[in-house]
Amino acid sequence: MKLGGMSFFQLASQRMTWLGARQAVISENVANADTPDYKAKKVSGFDAMLENADAMQGLKVTDTRHITSSGETPNGVRVTADEDAWEGSIDGNTVALEQQTIDAAEVAGSYRLAAELYRRGHSLLTIAVTGVR
Amino acid sequence: MDTLKTVLSVAASGMRAQGERLKVVSENVANASSTGNSNGEDPYRRKIISFQEMVDRDSGASMVEVDGVRRDDADFQLNYDPSHPAADEDGFVKVSNVNTILEMSNMREASRSYQANLNMFETGRSMRSQLLDLLK
Repeated sequence: MKLGGMSFFQLASQRMTWLGARQAVISENVANADTPDYKAKKVSGFDAMLENADAMQGLKVTDTRHITSSGETPNGVRVTADEDAWEGSIDGNTVALEQQTIDAAEVAGSYRLAAELYRRGHSLLTIAVTGVR
Repeated sequence: MDTLKTVLSVAASGMRAQGERLKVVSENVANASSTGNSNGEDPYRRKIISFQEMVDRDSGASMVEVDGVRRDDADFQLNYDPSHPAADEDGFVKVSNVNTILEMSNMREASRSYQANLNMFETGRSMRSQLLDLLK
């Protein structure tokens, strides 16, 4: 990972992209909490996304219906089955609503943090340029 | 497509499915004592709803949709009531195979799942508004 070549704003926006993708997967899990044979899903870590961002290989996606060659969504996040799901019910569903709720709250908090940091960075730039708060 | 918009539409699909489930539950409860009209006629048969995963073409997200509504094959109970219009030659009336306790727990679960989806919707909406607030 090359942190040096990465500006603050780029990092914050990538973090928000990752959190958004993660929240989308959590909402899929919650919506399918009563679907037979549905397996809970999770996204790859933020560090994996940063590493992938440097070398995005594979075919370019120009339409949302295209399938990426490496099984990733266009923004470089990999979605896999969640192996540490808390429970499995008789109908083969592995979604635990409690676990998803905790994850969703955590994602919402981190998203807020990233958005606030972005805003703070922006106001620092404003101070640097105009000299007034 | 905007991932936060995906959150909203996936949560909405979950709420729609749970709403359908609640509708089926209320149909079952309302018809719990519906019997036939003529001799030996079958009463109301309990309905069962099932869900399936549906991949949305635009966003690639797994939404949920109603797979279908089927009828419960369980046997009817027999009540002895010779004066009833639906009584057979031995005086027994078939009553529907709805189990109100089962329906009640089904209803609870539907409303809890609905609530969980509503919470996801709310969270997604507040994240989206934080994003838009950056433009201020």
